[in-house]
Amino acid sequence: MAELRLSMTIEARKVLSDLLRLIAPTSARVSVNRAQIPDSDTDLSSYWTETLSAQATEEARLLAKAFAQAKGDPAIIILNSTEEALAFLRALSAVRLALRDLVFPEITDAQLENSENIDDVSLPSEKRHAIACYSCFGLLQQSLILQIEPEAFDS
Amino acid sequence: MAKPKIKPEIKPDSAVAPTTPWNVVVHNDPINYMGYVVVAFMNVLNLPSAEAKKLVQTVHQEGQAIVWSGNREKAEVLVLKLQQWHLNAQLSKNG
Repeated sequence: MAELRLSMTIEARKVLSDLLRLIAPTSARVSVNRAQIPDSDTDLSSYWTETLSAQATEEARLLAKAFAQAKGDPAIIILNSTEEALAFLRALSAVRLALRDLVFPEITDAQLENSENIDDVSLPSEKRHAIACYSCFGLLQQSLILQIEPEAFDS
Repeated sequence: MAKPKIKPEIKPDSAVAPTTPWNVVVHNDPINYMGYVVVAFMNVLNLPSAEAKKLVQTVHQEGQAIVWSGNREKAEVLVLKLQQWHLNAQLSKNG
């Protein structure tokens, strides 16, 4: 498979990288907390928790590395295989979930489904900033999906 | 020459009891895009894109969908894999 590319402005790369540094330490906890882990079997739930925690750590590392290595203007993230691209896709989902749970949990599901329509003026600037980043991470996801599996978005 | 008819011997005590099917249920969430969930279903459930899209539509319209049914061990593996895709997936016992 040919390499996959995600491009963004230098400013976007800086803003998103800064946010990732802030949110990474807690993203593993969010990932485990959200999962509905079966509690009927202690060994199973331990394995489940360890697996999700390890994955969250790996996702944080993957995102940090990719954004740090994105060079040029526009800044370009290069993913060399489908596996790497799918892992990056999951990592972007994790950071969106963490942002939602940690920064703007009060936003309703209905509002979030139309996040571009959220009334910016009614929210504090840090939340507006987080929602803008949330949308940017979503755009990167969509760009990647269109390269990996363009049919996924067909109606 | 006709083959002799052999009457099958039925041993009720040795019959294997059917295992209770377990369901893998995925709930709708406002965070993951439908296209993302399609890719997740294709990779975790090994579905072609048309089937994956149909399931995603059900999740979106009904709020949830059973995406797989069968034995518990496999269901647990699939729920964990779907959760690794950050989907709202859970195990549910049928009946």
